[in-house]
Amino acid sequence: MNENITDPIVIEAIDVHKTYNTGTVQVHALKGVDLRARKGEMVAIMGPSGCGKTTLLNCLSGLDEIDAGTVTIAGTDISKMADDRKTDFRARQMGFIFQTYNLLPVLSAAENVELPLIVSGVRPREARQRAMAALETVGLGDRGNQRPNQLSGGQRQRVTVARALVNRPSIIWADEPTGALDSATAKEIMDLIVDLNEQEHQTTILVTHDPKVAARCHRTIHMADGLIVREDDQATMQATAASAGVL
Amino acid sequence: MDELFGLSMNIIAAVSVALTLGIFVILAWFAFRNPVMFKQGLRNIPRRKTQTALIIFGLMLATVIMTAAFSTGDTVANTATNDIYDLLGEIDEYIQWDAESNPAPEDQRVIPESELQRLSGEFADDPDIEGFMGLSFENLPVVSPRTNLNESNALISAYDPAESGLFTDGIKVLAGEFRLGGNAIIINEDLAEALDARIGDTLELVFEGERVAVVVSGIAEKSPMTGAFDIGSADQPGGAIAVDFFREVTGRSDSLDIIIVSNTGDARGGLDRSSVVEDKLTPALEGTPYELVTLKDDGIRFVKLASSFFTTFFVVFGLFSIAAGVLLIFLIFIMLAAERKPEMGMARAIGARRRHLVESFLAEGMGYDLGSAIIGVIAGIGVTYAMVAIVNSTGDSGLGLNLRVSFTLRGLLVSFCIGVIATFLIITVASVRASRLNIVSAIRDLPETKPINPEQATWFGYLRGLLNVMAAFGFILLFFVLSFRVSPIFQLLMLVGLVGPFIYVLRGTNFYLPREERLANGRVPLWPFFTIIGIPFYLLALLVVRLTRDRRPSSAPLWLMVVAILVPPVGIVVAALQDRERPIAWGAGMGAFGAILGVVLIQWGLDSDGAFFFSAGVSLVLLWAGTLLRHFRIAERASMTTVSALVLVYWYSPSSWWEPLIGELNGDFEMFFLSGITMVAAGTFIITYNLDILVPIAARLGSRAGRLVPAIKTAAAYPLMARVRTGLTIAMIGLIMFALITFSTINENFVQLFLGDDADGGWDVQVFTNDNNQVDDLAASLDAAGVDTSPIVAAAEARWTGFGEVEFKDPNFDPDKDDPEDEYLGYPLLGADTTWLETNTFSIKFRAAGYATDEDVWQAIAANQRLVVIDQQVALGGGDGFGPSSLFTVDRELTEGFEPFTITMRDPGTGADTELTVIGQVDDSSALFFSAIITSLDTLESIYPDASTQAWYVKLDGGTDSRAYALTIESALFQASAESFDKLIDDQQAASAGFLLLFQGFMGLGLVVGIAALGVIAFRAVVERRQQIGMLRAIGYQRSMVALSFLLESGLVALSGILMGLLMGVSFSWVLWTFGEVDDQASGTFIVPWVQLFVICGIALLASLLMTYFPARAASRVAVAEALRYE
Repeated sequence: MNENITDPIVIEAIDVHKTYNTGTVQVHALKGVDLRARKGEMVAIMGPSGCGKTTLLNCLSGLDEIDAGTVTIAGTDISKMADDRKTDFRARQMGFIFQTYNLLPVLSAAENVELPLIVSGVRPREARQRAMAALETVGLGDRGNQRPNQLSGGQRQRVTVARALVNRPSIIWADEPTGALDSATAKEIMDLIVDLNEQEHQTTILVTHDPKVAARCHRTIHMADGLIVREDDQATMQATAASAGVL
Repeated sequence: MDELFGLSMNIIAAVSVALTLGIFVILAWFAFRNPVMFKQGLRNIPRRKTQTALIIFGLMLATVIMTAAFSTGDTVANTATNDIYDLLGEIDEYIQWDAESNPAPEDQRVIPESELQRLSGEFADDPDIEGFMGLSFENLPVVSPRTNLNESNALISAYDPAESGLFTDGIKVLAGEFRLGGNAIIINEDLAEALDARIGDTLELVFEGERVAVVVSGIAEKSPMTGAFDIGSADQPGGAIAVDFFREVTGRSDSLDIIIVSNTGDARGGLDRSSVVEDKLTPALEGTPYELVTLKDDGIRFVKLASSFFTTFFVVFGLFSIAAGVLLIFLIFIMLAAERKPEMGMARAIGARRRHLVESFLAEGMGYDLGSAIIGVIAGIGVTYAMVAIVNSTGDSGLGLNLRVSFTLRGLLVSFCIGVIATFLIITVASVRASRLNIVSAIRDLPETKPINPEQATWFGYLRGLLNVMAAFGFILLFFVLSFRVSPIFQLLMLVGLVGPFIYVLRGTNFYLPREERLANGRVPLWPFFTIIGIPFYLLALLVVRLTRDRRPSSAPLWLMVVAILVPPVGIVVAALQDRERPIAWGAGMGAFGAILGVVLIQWGLDSDGAFFFSAGVSLVLLWAGTLLRHFRIAERASMTTVSALVLVYWYSPSSWWEPLIGELNGDFEMFFLSGITMVAAGTFIITYNLDILVPIAARLGSRAGRLVPAIKTAAAYPLMARVRTGLTIAMIGLIMFALITFSTINENFVQLFLGDDADGGWDVQVFTNDNNQVDDLAASLDAAGVDTSPIVAAAEARWTGFGEVEFKDPNFDPDKDDPEDEYLGYPLLGADTTWLETNTFSIKFRAAGYATDEDVWQAIAANQRLVVIDQQVALGGGDGFGPSSLFTVDRELTEGFEPFTITMRDPGTGADTELTVIGQVDDSSALFFSAIITSLDTLESIYPDASTQAWYVKLDGGTDSRAYALTIESALFQASAESFDKLIDDQQAASAGFLLLFQGFMGLGLVVGIAALGVIAFRAVVERRQQIGMLRAIGYQRSMVALSFLLESGLVALSGILMGLLMGVSFSWVLWTFGEVDDQASGTFIVPWVQLFVICGIALLASLLMTYFPARAASRVAVAEALRYE
């Protein structure tokens, strides 16, 4: 188990509010969420559709603005950062894994992986070496020149994982990373994420519907209607999954 | 404007309105049959307002261009016809001495008053002729002692005031009254302005040195009755005095110069009787030395022709923009189809048929179309106003008119209808294309999978493609069957399809004969149409296919397919029985059809000596080779690049290289359009098929750009993925840039050639003197007038004959074919004194054998009688813009060291012929001010003593201001009209620059099309790539970098088009100029106006980036979280 109570808190969200204004209707997506995560911790966020899981992830990662509250990442309050600084901060400190991969179809796998390095100012030659190394890590060392449409779903998600890790971020945000995969491939990807978490010791926040995925995390947060309603540790989640016959 | 491309505008209007109504009926039928799908289409229009605005903007351009072209034509026609009616008033015809048939000295070419009385008596009660009147005139200097201003050449008309009411009552009097008698003079507005004259002023008419006082009784508008005859001449100072007083001043007897005729009816109504009156008066003049000139009718006819020329010019050049507009419309609808794909997939899933999608898409498209056609007409009117303002500001429209914008309902209607029809056709093609979607891919918005064609790369598939194309084209070609009468033997031959006509053609054609014999019958053969009319048999096949489409096929062997293509009845059966579910190689079929058409066009071009058809045929055959190679999957990049390169090689090769093979072919400025379209298409193919080589090079060049690298990387990657969009946009921009660059470059070379500083021949001032008051010695006269003549380095005298004053025997005249009146053709003859011949700086372009230097030529002319040099117009001929040249041309092309040869000049006064020997061709730069056959003054005076126009050419020392000195000469000598060459050249260059600006502005409309395309693509890309933008932002792309990436992407595409247009335009201009393709007369050093071209390119690039700025900004502002969540 990686989590240790002495590890520093890397993510701290206090009383986070977020409302979407759709013109005629206001949707209160987050109604005062508090959350902390320590270095190296893997936290799953679960809940029914529309409960605010992805919104919380977006707000914590700085992809979306919050209306009230504070979000502190590695001691820095990102809720008050200007967009350009926040973008740079994201490039250096964070990696993202999305359900729909979000790879650039016009670039090869290696080019997709090296993008975060290039935007961080890494020299092209070094960026390519590190990208190939990251692809090697996820088992795609020989697929660097292939474009996304030449890869399977699992391979694409591996490229996404490589892209998320290539910059050695301190936090990985994963939104339904296995949502678009069959169960065998989903397991492979989760094995990869867990292995990398153990090796690299990043904090990983993961949104999922799948109890099996949540059971692989150190802690699971349950949300409903824009609020955190419960937290379970890994043992509880494993037991729950086992009783549901999914583990 | 009554005609366009030789077709009556009434017919064009009727056909286009009928087609437009047909389109409306089709749409109404769709709406009636399936209102829900129709409404769905219409309701899509207001969904994205910015996009709708952009689409309407893009679609309207074709209408704008057509409206502007038609309205310009109408404006020229209406302005000119109104000017003619205003100027001529009641005068419809006049009677003059017929010098052509009755040679006589100039002073004897008059009409006695008795002739006027005879005609007046004979036609006194004629219902078509209202009256006759005699008119005399002289060109005289007029001096105003009060203002000390003078006018050296005022045309003074003289007539009997008691008889003139019919002709003068309608003339507008601007001041005073229209009263003649005694020494009263009515002056026209131009003379009043030149002299700053007022009512009551005493003016002096100078006749042969004698000054006669006249008193201004009235100032009136211009009319022949106030000394203004020239239609289309802006400045015509003149006046009128009573005929008795005129005779007293000039000492002339009771002779008249002309008899003017007024037809029954007002200024406009009288014109309708012109031909009737001509039929009556021509016999009445039989046996007399006089002829009737239908002045008003001729003038109106000329301006109509001129306005057609204007319209045709703008329509031809507008075709570039319209072609770009067609590509844009197609692109817009490809984009729209992509956007609507999920909705269309859903509609198909719940039971909508393909035709429903087509109908819905058509409803949406036609909504945009109608809106854009209406706005296009309004915008076109605006563009016309702008163009007319530019033309007027140049001071010379080429017709000497101050244009007043004018529209005809017919012109606007045709523009509107053409816009609607063109857009409808393109939308239909795009709709059919869009409706062919895979339902699952469409709903999930995945890339469309292309069905595998098992017949790809097989001859069978190729032939089947051809068979189907033939069937599809059948109904179009039915038109030809109905249009031409076909001989019975031919009808029989048609039964064996394409084989029959070709046998007929091969047997009947005289293609293998030498060119002269080939053209013996002198008409364009119609057989190319006949060779393809066998194809309508396939129309029946199309119907059978339609009726039997659910039948399952039986397979046909390859030999049967061949027979089916060659023999229509078999083709009908095969087409009907083919497997409808199997993909058809349409491209291959179209290619083969293009090849057939290409061969036909080549043959037609050879038979008619038409470069347009020949070149179009060659290009089509080459492109067919491309589709052939593609069908057989032969290295697509290599084959398409090679074929495109061959097309370019063909167009770049000068026609002189082909002449030994195919003879000399004729082409006009429509070749410019054809070459542009074909070359840009070939260039675009080369670029798009090699983008994956070119783009990484660009990306590699930018790999050292630090933090910009990611932006460059993504910017370079996207154009590669969307080759169709990229290619279409490059083609649009390239097409317009090609036209702009080529026209600007060629124009600049013409300006340098004809309007260069050496056009003055080394002279600084030209002085024309009044015919009745000539100057024997300019320097002495100036001295006597107290002018300091020390700046004069040389003053040379020359005499000119006007057009038609002397004539030259046409060496190409054929008494059996040509009109006897055309045996002698006019051209000015310039007789220059020894000073002129020795001082002028014109070089001799080609010297005859025996003349080692230019000086030898000039000295020989000065020393010897009857030697001449000709200019480039006489040497090479060429049309005058409105048809074949009616000017004298020699029968040979001169080269250095040519053998001297003779030309024959006829004096119309005596009918005597004189032979002159040509010993050189003067440099082309003489064309602007010395367009004449040049000989010595002695020669001219000995062979044509009547040459009355005297000119002096003055060379000043270096420090003297020639403009000021010209004014000094004018004010010192009342009979002199002096102009500095410096000013004349400046004026000409300004007029040329104004016209260039007008053209560039007009072509700029096309550039707007290309730029709009970039905008359309960029806006669409923002929508399509929303999620990708979100991801880029998530992993650390700054907003600015996202925006920069979009800007760079558009910049790269725009730059490709711009550079292609620039390179092709400049290189093509060089070929045209250097090899004398653009004009036989053009030659000399080729100049590239780089600054002007870079400004054009810079504006194009800047405008492209500006257009992309807005979508780029929108991309940079995409909300990251939302973009990542939703597609």
